[in-house]
Amino acid sequence: MPPMGRPPRGPRPDGPEEEFNLEQMEKETEEMLKLRYLTKDNAVFERTEGGFVSVRIGEEFHPRVQVVRMFPFSDPDQYISIRTPDERSKEIGIIENMKQVSKETAEMLREQLALRYFTPIITKIINIKDEYGYAYFDVVTDRGACRFTINMGGHSVVHLSETRILISDIDENRFEIPDVTKLTTKELKKLDLFL
Amino acid sequence: MILNFDLSKENQQLLALAPNERICYAVPYDITADGRFLSNSYAVVTDKRLVLLEEGTLRKQYLLSDCDKIDSEPQIDCGLLIVTVQGKEEIAARFSAKHLARFSYVARGCTLLLEGSTKLVSSEEYEKTCPNCHRALPGTRECPHCAKKSGGFVHEFLSMLAPYKKQLALIVFIMLLAAVITLLNPEIQKHLIDDVLTDKKGTLSQAFFFLGMIFALSLFMVIINISKAYLCSKLGSMISMDLRAKLYHKIQVLSLSFINDRRPGELMNRVVRDTTRVKQFMEDVFCNLFTVCVIFIFDVVYMLILDVKLALMAFLFIPISIFISNAFRHNIHRRFHRQWQKNDDVNSSLQDVISGMNVVKSYGKEETESKKFDELSDDFAAVQRRNETFWAIFYPLLSFTIGAGVYLITYFGGVSVLNGTKTTGELLQFINYTSMLYMYLDWLTNLPRRLMDLVNSLERINDVMNQEPRIVDDKDATDIDIRGAVEFKNATFGYKSYKPVLEKISLSVKPGEMIGLVGASGTGKSTMINLIMHLYELDDGELLIDGTDIKKIRLENYHSQIGVVLQETFLFSGTILNNIRFAKPDATYEEVIRAAKMANAHDFICRTPDGYNTYVGERGFNLSGGERQRIAIARAILNQPKLLILDEATASLDTESEYLIQKALERLTNGRTTFAIAHRLSTLKDADRLVVIDGHSIAEIGTHNELMEKQGIYYGLVTAQLEMQKVSNEETAAAQA
Repeated sequence: MPPMGRPPRGPRPDGPEEEFNLEQMEKETEEMLKLRYLTKDNAVFERTEGGFVSVRIGEEFHPRVQVVRMFPFSDPDQYISIRTPDERSKEIGIIENMKQVSKETAEMLREQLALRYFTPIITKIINIKDEYGYAYFDVVTDRGACRFTINMGGHSVVHLSETRILISDIDENRFEIPDVTKLTTKELKKLDLFL
Repeated sequence: MILNFDLSKENQQLLALAPNERICYAVPYDITADGRFLSNSYAVVTDKRLVLLEEGTLRKQYLLSDCDKIDSEPQIDCGLLIVTVQGKEEIAARFSAKHLARFSYVARGCTLLLEGSTKLVSSEEYEKTCPNCHRALPGTRECPHCAKKSGGFVHEFLSMLAPYKKQLALIVFIMLLAAVITLLNPEIQKHLIDDVLTDKKGTLSQAFFFLGMIFALSLFMVIINISKAYLCSKLGSMISMDLRAKLYHKIQVLSLSFINDRRPGELMNRVVRDTTRVKQFMEDVFCNLFTVCVIFIFDVVYMLILDVKLALMAFLFIPISIFISNAFRHNIHRRFHRQWQKNDDVNSSLQDVISGMNVVKSYGKEETESKKFDELSDDFAAVQRRNETFWAIFYPLLSFTIGAGVYLITYFGGVSVLNGTKTTGELLQFINYTSMLYMYLDWLTNLPRRLMDLVNSLERINDVMNQEPRIVDDKDATDIDIRGAVEFKNATFGYKSYKPVLEKISLSVKPGEMIGLVGASGTGKSTMINLIMHLYELDDGELLIDGTDIKKIRLENYHSQIGVVLQETFLFSGTILNNIRFAKPDATYEEVIRAAKMANAHDFICRTPDGYNTYVGERGFNLSGGERQRIAIARAILNQPKLLILDEATASLDTESEYLIQKALERLTNGRTTFAIAHRLSTLKDADRLVVIDGHSIAEIGTHNELMEKQGIYYGLVTAQLEMQKVSNEETAAAQA
């Protein structure tokens, strides 16, 4: 279904004063093109009571923001997008590098990232059992011991690089092995089928 | 999907239910806020509280009366349960992707509880792992492993074979015959050697007699094998054909919600792949099952009768042989799985580049792509070479090791022959039986895997077969002649019960009225139409047709009185005639022509070489979008429907065909209750009323003029379209200048 021609502007028009305005629409489109960098000089981040983070940029205030990695695999600590938490998820600004915000802010944002992302790193493979098209993993991760199941037929194991792999289980959880060469020979032998 | 897990005694004590309090939902959560794995932790929702039980402690509880909102927010590979208390959002629990869907249902259930409803949310989704044995489920409700205990599988397998008793009896008879002949052969060889050949005891004619017998038996065996293979293939084909037809029929009967809940292709796989697996099992495994079992048992018995000591010696090697062959098979499986993966990489890379050739060429990347492909190809070749070498070296070694028992037998048997306690023929016979034992051993050890494949396939097939269609005719469903009054009363519906698409819709439509449905995409316009077509059942509220609950009208009777024209015009493979006649196969030529004329389709149909007999559909005559649309309209007219549904019927057509279709639609909607969705709002100018859907409910309702005066959402949409049109007109003008 083609989208209806709703004006691409925040809240829907609900009065005559909010008439459709081509100029404003073009202005917004232009704005979307800009990279708006947030630094310790122009943005103030603060913890909220409920465990989230708010931001004030001059006059602009967002009571809760979403913190998103643009390059979660290749550069998790750089280019962090700060977005509105609603469905539209509009970009408020970009943090190019955690060094460009204060230490407290960086810590705050890292907490938010830790809340948003959950990809345990496998540190030890205890056992892998394959049975009738599924493989049952028994591993230790940086988040604690864990058992999960993957589908052997599909593309459950993705290579991010020669040595770095990402394993998706049947529940769509993801587990990372940052460097397979660091595994013991015994562990490698168990994993061999999936490499 | 389970939304109410059983709580242990300790957890129940922690929960300390008040006397009149009841548990509505209890679901596990598995990570802490800072991301450590948890066990034995539950979010429990009662009709009064939300309680978080974490590893044997009560971590936190909220009174539902204090909460403004309870929501489940998906994150990346995890999710958060967020409770809003006095306007402040707070993280109540965190869970991995394993429980994402579960918490979405629970959050929806909480919303209902907060609204004061007593309705409980339930989920038709299947669990991914068996809660009992923790194995992955092959896309079925029942676990094939755990269901087996109740004797379900054997029963299912036998009931599948039941209609073919005669063929089955014949096959079993032939299988037994094959076993007898196989076992007889060494016996005859013994006689040939001992009674005829040894010490020149017998005459030449006797030798020929035995040789002839061996030859006859071999010939007989060939005939038996051929007929066995033939009968088993035939039986397998018949059974799989049977299953396919039953499955196909069942899928047609099942409600759309069952089909939409599954990944595309999954049902197709069940019809095609799983039924083929059953056939293959019948051909490859079943056909030898009795033969091998009988041979194996009698082989063992014979060996024991002939020579207990030697037999036991031979048996001693069985576990060793099984162990070696299992290890070998495991290794081979791993190696070839890897080879298969590499092959897959090469194939998909090839497909990638060939289908994206113009991109590769226009960016001048031929060299790079070529190099990439070479690397993959080299990789594949290396793995293949390694595997072939491995096979070539180890297979003979393996056969040698597995057969080691035979050498031992030959040695000790040979000693007995030299001692005179055994004849040469007897030794040969014994050696033959021993080799037979090892030969079928391999087949038997492979049997469990083949059986499990069959069990899984049967389970997937029966999973569909045992589904009850959710929309069925009520016991007291009746036929009615529809006049065309449609009324929604507090109707709520969502494709997933945790995510309502329409909420508490109320709308009353008079017979003959034309209603235009307006709203941004994804707001539920098409959903409303799906409900009117009775493809889905409401979750809550009522839908009345002429004052009768839609559930009380016989489905077939109802569907024969509605006409549908959709944006994506679907023409079946067949002639134009058959396509127009789809809803009413007994329509006369005159009726068809009238309908085509009404739809402005008659003229272009006459221009095609084969007229109404022109073959259309996949690989058929190429019709334009407008022409297909007009055939669909003719199809809808032919039925003389009382209720008409137009879903984007005029989208993406050129101006001329749009005009023709508009005219055709005008004729069609005349005097019929019509629900129309249109992208171009101008096409809805004839609508008696416009219904604007926004935020899961009806936001505005009225005529075009009323809504324009109101200057609300509709006004915004119309002005936006006009502005956009102006811009594009200006652009065209500028371009032409």
